Amino acid sequence: MAHIFAVGGGKGGTGKSFIAANLGVMLARQGKKVVLVDLDLGAPNLHTMMGLTNLKTGLSNFLNKSVKNLSLTSAPTKTPNLYIISSLRCSLEVGNLFYAQKQKIIRAIWQLPTDYVVLDLGAGTTYNTLDFFLASHQGLSVFTPEPTSIQNTVQFIKAVYLRKLKHILKQHAFATAVKEVGYESDDGVVRSPLDIVDSVMRSDPARAKLLQKELGKLRFKLILNQYRKHMDVTLGNKIEKVCNRHFYSQFQFLGNIAYNERVYESIIARKVFVAKYPYTPTSTDLKNVANKMTGRNVQAPTLKETNAKV
Amino acid sequence: MRKFEELNHYQIFGIPINASAFEIRQAYKETLSIYGNDSPISYSFFTEEESKEILDRVEEAFSTLIDQEKRELYDKMLVHDKKIDPSDLTKKKQKVPTPLFSSKTPSGAAISKTIKKRIKDKDLKKTKEAILSKDMISGDDLKQLRQTVGIKIEDLFEVTRITVSILEAIENDNFGTLPSTVYLKNFLKAYAKLFEVDPKKIIDGYLKNLNHIKGTS
Repeated sequence: MAHIFAVGGGKGGTGKSFIAANLGVMLARQGKKVVLVDLDLGAPNLHTMMGLTNLKTGLSNFLNKSVKNLSLTSAPTKTPNLYIISSLRCSLEVGNLFYAQKQKIIRAIWQLPTDYVVLDLGAGTTYNTLDFFLASHQGLSVFTPEPTSIQNTVQFIKAVYLRKLKHILKQHAFATAVKEVGYESDDGVVRSPLDIVDSVMRSDPARAKLLQKELGKLRFKLILNQYRKHMDVTLGNKIEKVCNRHFYSQFQFLGNIAYNERVYESIIARKVFVAKYPYTPTSTDLKNVANKMTGRNVQAPTLKETNAKV
Repeated sequence: MRKFEELNHYQIFGIPINASAFEIRQAYKETLSIYGNDSPISYSFFTEEESKEILDRVEEAFSTLIDQEKRELYDKMLVHDKKIDPSDLTKKKQKVPTPLFSSKTPSGAAISKTIKKRIKDKDLKKTKEAILSKDMISGDDLKQLRQTVGIKIEDLFEVTRITVSILEAIENDNFGTLPSTVYLKNFLKAYAKLFEVDPKKIIDGYLKNLNHIKGTS
């Protein structure tokens, strides 16, 4: 089974597609077979980042049942070992995916015959996005160092957390816990998933343990994009610390990705950034993040400098 | 928020229970950069009430730990509640501020140690006696002392932190580049102490010699 990374995050324009595309290239360069899946349904542009036009196949073939096997809808990219499944030719209404179709896509992705899958998700916290995020082994949340972006990222993390929490509660039939909290808060709306956990902890310690264990399986990775000089270098680490302290899941900060004017140029030129500008700090940062994702920095001696940097 | 409520003062700051005041201050500053009012992290994570609640706890923790008396009482309470191991309190491995101008750079410290050992191991009695018996002591005499041990002028710099150019001027009686007498005396003292000869005699002899050279030239 392929190892799945989902690239998401609350806010738009933080560089999710940029990071998905470039990490895809970096992972492929590690000698692994990688499939990029554009799941920003209704707003697909991952293929543009990759400089691909005139894609003949994509997710639409799978959804309209003209192709049964999802892996047959993938198209090669300019990078060896790297393939893309685009949602370019899907209907304009594909953003409102039916539950059954969503489950079908998730199951098919799990069965893709490849080493890594990178899912490029859209902004926002709709159920589709959250469920694709939760279908991954590691969810990457991309944010930029502005309060607006941090706020939406936290919102996103909380939304994913709440979704996961509800899944667990449903599976283990203690839905009453959610209701209880609902009644407790002033307006009957659950504002924070933390409240639910607290409530279960108070009322049912035995189940709380199970809940804690299940939530502990959830793995978030954080990436800070557009890092500018003279900024707090440890911002990402601090967010990681707070998340690990207040949620029961595992959070890991993967690193800062330096801001670079040329990112804009590469997108205008419709070329993958790491291929067009390989010798920039930004490319090095992306490489380091890719290595961290696959745990390569553990053995690779060339990565001494990354450890020092972090 | 429950998770935060369960933390003791030390856990809030993420410091060991034998932390020094310096460490506490540093950790406090760090914690404020996360939970403080102008932190984007706190702003995104917590509601205003939650944030205030957390900040109150942080302030309480800091004011307790930084006050020696209050801290002792608090520690006693933790020990009494069996929350901490009392033996950890007495462990001494505290971090203190690094001086801005440290004379002992990490690598320098190691070099300095080996040089001092070499000087100690060498029998310098004869050379020392020969020098001290003189009325006027020249830079050459000092140089001889150094060469008998077999160390370089750069090694001397590592131990004494006197710049190489000044050390050279001292050894060559180059009074044109020598510093003023006040400083020179201190440098000579350091030089003499390193080789364990009487500093007073060396300073007097050296200055006498220097004046003599100045007079003749």
